Amino acid sequence: MRMTRREALRVGSLSGAALVLDVAWSGRIAAAPAASFRPNAWLRVGADGSVAITVGKSEMGQGVRTSLPMLVADELEVDLAAVELIQAVPGPDFKRLRTGGSGSVYGSYAALRKAGAAAREMLVTAAAAQWGVEPKLCRAEKASVVHEPTGRRAAYSTLVDAAARLPVPAEPHVKDAQELRLVGRPTRRFDGPRIVTGRAVYGLDTRVSGMRQAVVARPPVLGGSVARWDGARAKAVPGVRDVVQVPTGIAVVADDTWAALQGREALDVTWNDGPNAGFDSVEFRRRLAAAAQGPGRLSRREGAGLAALASAARRLDATYEYPFQAHAPLETMNTIADVRSGRCEIWSPTQAPEQVRDETAKILGLAPEAVRVNVTLIGGGFGRRLGIDYAVEAVHVARAAGAPVQVVWTRPDDMRHGHFQPASAHRMAAGLDAEGRLVAWGHRKAGSYLSIFPAPTAAEMQDPAHWQDESWGAYDIPYAIPAIETDYVLVDSPVPSGPWRAVYSPSCTFARESFLDEAAHAAGRDPLRMRLELLNAPSPVTIGGLTIDRTRLRRVLETAAARSGWGEPLPKGRGRGVAANVYDGDTHVAMVAEVTVAGGDVRVDRVVAAVDCGPFVNPMHIERQVESGVVWALATLFFGEITIAAGRVQQSSYGDYAVPRLKHMPVVETHVLPATVTQPSGIGEAPVPPLAPAVLNAVFAACGRRLRRLPVRPADLA
Amino acid sequence: MPPFRLVVNGAAREVDAPADMPLLWVLRDRLGLTGTKYGCGVGICGACTVHLDGRAARSCQVAVRDAAGPRITTIEGLSADGRHPIQRAWLEEDVAQCGYCQAGMIMCAAAFLAQKPRPTDADVDAAMSDSVCRCGTYQRIRRAIRLAAEGPR
Repeated sequence: MRMTRREALRVGSLSGAALVLDVAWSGRIAAAPAASFRPNAWLRVGADGSVAITVGKSEMGQGVRTSLPMLVADELEVDLAAVELIQAVPGPDFKRLRTGGSGSVYGSYAALRKAGAAAREMLVTAAAAQWGVEPKLCRAEKASVVHEPTGRRAAYSTLVDAAARLPVPAEPHVKDAQELRLVGRPTRRFDGPRIVTGRAVYGLDTRVSGMRQAVVARPPVLGGSVARWDGARAKAVPGVRDVVQVPTGIAVVADDTWAALQGREALDVTWNDGPNAGFDSVEFRRRLAAAAQGPGRLSRREGAGLAALASAARRLDATYEYPFQAHAPLETMNTIADVRSGRCEIWSPTQAPEQVRDETAKILGLAPEAVRVNVTLIGGGFGRRLGIDYAVEAVHVARAAGAPVQVVWTRPDDMRHGHFQPASAHRMAAGLDAEGRLVAWGHRKAGSYLSIFPAPTAAEMQDPAHWQDESWGAYDIPYAIPAIETDYVLVDSPVPSGPWRAVYSPSCTFARESFLDEAAHAAGRDPLRMRLELLNAPSPVTIGGLTIDRTRLRRVLETAAARSGWGEPLPKGRGRGVAANVYDGDTHVAMVAEVTVAGGDVRVDRVVAAVDCGPFVNPMHIERQVESGVVWALATLFFGEITIAAGRVQQSSYGDYAVPRLKHMPVVETHVLPATVTQPSGIGEAPVPPLAPAVLNAVFAACGRRLRRLPVRPADLA
Repeated sequence: MPPFRLVVNGAAREVDAPADMPLLWVLRDRLGLTGTKYGCGVGICGACTVHLDGRAARSCQVAVRDAAGPRITTIEGLSADGRHPIQRAWLEEDVAQCGYCQAGMIMCAAAFLAQKPRPTDADVDAAMSDSVCRCGTYQRIRRAIRLAAEGPR
């Protein structure tokens, strides 16, 4: 079966950990005295008492190198601070390594706890056997087993040999909620001390013996190519070793980054512009807005659909527009590749190491086992590093140069040659009855599929499920409205696009939650009360492939409203706005934003967020991800936009692609609701979508101006 | 390439490099001090911030020829034991997310507090807004600076 886009984003996070255990959960029995006890791929207890835990996800700031070991360490009863972390390498023990879809915790939760619990049970069994006592009278604590009646104690280090000879229990006792000691408690980052002393090693900081550094000259026009080149002047630059052609352009290989950069300046290269030299993103955005007025492909219909608008007492119409966005993580793309005869080793800040391995093997004609991919710390991912373009490029450069090479992208390289968040336009329609009730809802998205994935097949083009996949946030509107119709107009785009934090949801949720606010104001209703009423309906409901729990959404809305002082008067020029979302059927978030509008400028003063992501591992991480999502979404609202003229990306750095700075940071208050379900859900992306509409609804409340096009410019408020 | 005599984190270092090579690349590629980060190369993100004679400077904007003379301090040399008040406050507030910008943020904050030990909130916002954090750790940076300025509560 072909993977849908959502599945492609989530694969690994859902199944990775479980698959690993299928392989490693084999009930290994050691024949000889063991130097260490390793009942499964995730942990090892050494005869010296050392404990190592393997992390199967890429750390990019979301805290997986803290939260995932917490799951193991809690069950294993070891001190987190004493644990050594090992970053998983794709191979037989660790399959489908991939970090995305906000899935690191929910995809690993059960498996990692089971891994820790099994090891603990084996150590307890080994101790009980040594003492000739009942295992159930023994318990584990602080890397030891204690016999309760006598207080007798054995350190794990003394039990390694015996435990390693035991079969691995298939169904170990996983702790009940009240037994958990680490999980659910605020825990500081594992890598914190290294980060504050400059010892944390990211991709760009990785050094390999004999390594050279390279930069690549790439075609300025999207989809362009090399026409001809001459490396003589570049080679004359001191420190430049080699100039080689690779599929993406011309690489200048040097002794250090500066020499490579100087060499690239000196390079003579002529480009073929290719078919996109006339592409203009301003014109394209007009094309999207026009396309959104025409018919689309149906993703959902409830009741009479759009036909219900005809009988509505009042009809509202609006078009919302969303721009191209870059990821612009602070660490630019980079990768080290060392291509040797019959093997290759890679060091890459990647979210998709297995895909890097497999693609490298294909390029070099090697077996996947001959390629080792080391995942470094990542200086910001946000979906950009699910693309493997920069890692593959390094393999080509290293092969051509015949030496280990670190390919370094400059900030302009990174800004211009990314895969972008695609622009979209949203045609909204709503019908109100004579009493001001919302009785009809239409949401048509005009946009483009993510080009780093395959184009939709002919069968998918006819399948509502496919168009649902491309419009989360639109088709899965959680409110109970008697007539709903959502559809999608596919507009071809030559702009490389791919996953970007929260994928399709930010644009769709921006349109949906803003337009709902318009409907409330048109009806003379309180926007919060209207939402709560629309959620006072059967729950849970199945929408497409998702289950939407309206009760949970109501609860986060009520919490955010109560904590923000919703309804309390504000001085002139200030306003509050609310928005809510169920992210991909999982995590429920409501936000109330408070803004000041003055002199054509918006200041976001405060954001109160209520989050329900089920049982959580580290509440500090939840708070941080909410703060992070707020800043991420603020960038789209007021700052960055990628524009393309004559086929060329116009932006080059944080000057022309501005991002929020510290002075723009609102006070963010995060309220994490206690879990009412047993399965956790993700938090990396869910806080992004509701922020923009909450802020824009607050702007409307403050000054009566409805903003429907992002990013907002000063002229929009003048 | 004349040898340049630098004083980095209290130690004399001799570097053979083109005179216009930015200090950033000297530190990272010649001296192995990778704590100082590349973010933009044009002085607008702050990731490469170091101290020259105790004052914050963008190392991507300082040519090596101009770096010979002042005492250069990088994140690796901010304190001998990682216990500079700013570093401790950063850990206490658990500021970092991806962490990539944090060395620059810490060096900015340390130089700023040395000059203005009792800053107002507006002072902090003004002093720290020349640096970029894409993860959005700004709220925690504010708190950590306040903590470092006021001492442990």
